[in-house]
Amino acid sequence: MWVQLMPVLAVLSVLFGGALVLAVMQSLGFAPWFGVNTFPDLSYFGALWGSWSFWQSLGLTLYYAIVSTGIALVMGILLALAMVRIFPGKSLYKYLYKLPLMIPYTVGIALAVIMLGNGGMISRIFAFVGLIGDPSEFPQILKTHYGWGIITVYVWKQTPFVTLTLYAVLLGVGRETEEAAAILGANKRQIFFGVTLPQILPGIVSSTLIIFAFNIGAFEAPFILGGGYPDTLPVVAWRYFNDADYTLQLQGMATVVSLALIASAILYSYLAFYRSFERRIGRN
Amino acid sequence: MKKLLIGLSVTASLLSNTVLAEDADAVAFREAFLSGTATWEDVQARAKEEGTVNLYYWGGSDPINIWMDQIATAGLAELGVKLNPVRITGTKDAIDLVLAEMNSGKGLGEGSVDAIWVNGENFATLKRQNALFGAFADKTPNSVNIEWNADDPRSLLNLRDFGVETGNAEMPWSGEQYVCAANTKRVDRADLPATFAELKSYLEINPGKFTYVKPPHYVGNTFVQAAVYAHNPDGTGAAPFQNSIGDVGAEELARLITPGLEYLKALEPHLLGAQGGNARYPEDIGALDGLFLNGEVDMACKFGLYAVATGLNNGTYPEGAEAFVFPTGNMIKNKNYLAIPANAPNPAATLVMADYMTSVDAQVTKLKFTGMPPGVDPWKLSDEDVQALTEASPGLIGVTQADLDANTAPDTNATLVDVIEATWLEYIERDSTDSIDVIVARAVENLEK
Repeated sequence: MWVQLMPVLAVLSVLFGGALVLAVMQSLGFAPWFGVNTFPDLSYFGALWGSWSFWQSLGLTLYYAIVSTGIALVMGILLALAMVRIFPGKSLYKYLYKLPLMIPYTVGIALAVIMLGNGGMISRIFAFVGLIGDPSEFPQILKTHYGWGIITVYVWKQTPFVTLTLYAVLLGVGRETEEAAAILGANKRQIFFGVTLPQILPGIVSSTLIIFAFNIGAFEAPFILGGGYPDTLPVVAWRYFNDADYTLQLQGMATVVSLALIASAILYSYLAFYRSFERRIGRN
Repeated sequence: MKKLLIGLSVTASLLSNTVLAEDADAVAFREAFLSGTATWEDVQARAKEEGTVNLYYWGGSDPINIWMDQIATAGLAELGVKLNPVRITGTKDAIDLVLAEMNSGKGLGEGSVDAIWVNGENFATLKRQNALFGAFADKTPNSVNIEWNADDPRSLLNLRDFGVETGNAEMPWSGEQYVCAANTKRVDRADLPATFAELKSYLEINPGKFTYVKPPHYVGNTFVQAAVYAHNPDGTGAAPFQNSIGDVGAEELARLITPGLEYLKALEPHLLGAQGGNARYPEDIGALDGLFLNGEVDMACKFGLYAVATGLNNGTYPEGAEAFVFPTGNMIKNKNYLAIPANAPNPAATLVMADYMTSVDAQVTKLKFTGMPPGVDPWKLSDEDVQALTEASPGLIGVTQADLDANTAPDTNATLVDVIEATWLEYIERDSTDSIDVIVARAVENLEK
């Protein structure tokens, strides 16, 4: 068995593990190639956590990640439930809804800029038909701290992913238990919360875990569509890395490591909570 | 991820405790060339053996990329050198690569970067880290096109890069000036501001119709520098900003920049998006051009002597765009350069490339296709060559060369740029409640670490 595991283990431990160790060491002041070596030195974390802007950035990062994961989940469940029914045009629709999965995030971001921006298609159409005098008067959707642009892109891209996962689970469990519940007199609401939801819960947990982990660490969407300072943490880290003063890279590493710590804490407790819930209801 | 990997390879080599290995042949060549014992024929012969030159440059402009691929590559092929243009999103990536490779023990002849299109802080970093090939720029045949005589005040831009002495370790390649353009379909030329005070009054009447690129992007830094020059409390403009931070001192710098930064702080509520509570600073030139093209702002400032003509030509500027003189007397002018790092794998081929880039032919086609002003100095050229450059120029729209020459200011010393940029981020972006002298003192201390 170890022989079979070797390739994956080697890649994980060398590339991922090595990078992780190095990131942690740099964030603690080890960067002799920049002439900086004060290891171990907690001042980078101290400076970061001591500033109010870090907590603002963290709040924004979590806000975008949680809201878009939530919306994508609700829409994904609704879509997956619709998909198991039979309706005209279903075979075409089955391909159509997967389209965003095949399109990269950057293209989605570009679409958002082209459609929703103040110089975008919708604002121009509004100006053209005379609802506003000038495309720049269109209400600002992108580049605000409400993050509608970022959330739109995430939801657009991740709803099909949630749907795909849940649809596969739904197909696997079949409709017999739901039909049995209906025969026994359960109404639609009772069927969904008492029968369907517990059955698809593992799918819900695994898909939200994946998209939340992505959303919290994603860079492009908040960078291009975000509202400027305060930025999300990945963008803050990028700004440190990109500064001509390369000693700031250590501060950037501290940001990245903080983000990794917070993300893993959240994901771990989410998973632990779910496991304990599973045990409580007698599954494992 | 890439940086992690570079860092990882660096650590690995640190652990194995390597010393800087150098290709002895390449070192002998460098010594011979820099001391003048190698003839240009020797350089050409060695260049043909080396074959390739890896030029790292900012690849964000289509006209420049096309010029590199179609014209520079062909021109160098005739000289027996294959140009490998490596496009990067930020010049700093190439600097990082050079420093990482040097620290992992790769010396001359063994690195991967032959030349970098560079200026300002990035060059200052290479110089500070002792990562430059040497004083090559005045030793190539075409260097006669450039003014090296320090007694001639016009040589300043060739000898100093953002106030840092180049030591001839980089070849002037292109010149630039910070020019603002306005959309005259939206603003009457008579209403255009000429000073910072007029800009503010304009924005009080037309809120949100202006913004500038966000520092630390150099285009944003330059706007901040121009504001700082114009508000210099001594009225001496750019003069005190030519010295390094060590000479100026944190206290004096804070005194000099305070009025300028206070102006920018007062300007913020009038910038694009500020009416919605949150002023928007575009991240880069592309974003700024987009805002200008869409009519979200009436005016846009960036480095680009011929930006209006080129922008109108390729549709990235709105019809009606015209350049104007702003701010009077403080239109920052500089040059950008080709630097050779100390661990260039193909030094001879790189010298041939740098020489080609400063030839009149290359300068003429570059100007014609990309609108990048020449880096060679016209008074060193023959009349025909000057004529060729004039014909290749996309032309000035809205301003005359005399206007531009009359309002020129030099760039800020690279060590001060770092401090001013950090102060802007702290005082304006993060709305710090500390006073400017506290912020400046802290920034200076951080940089000295």
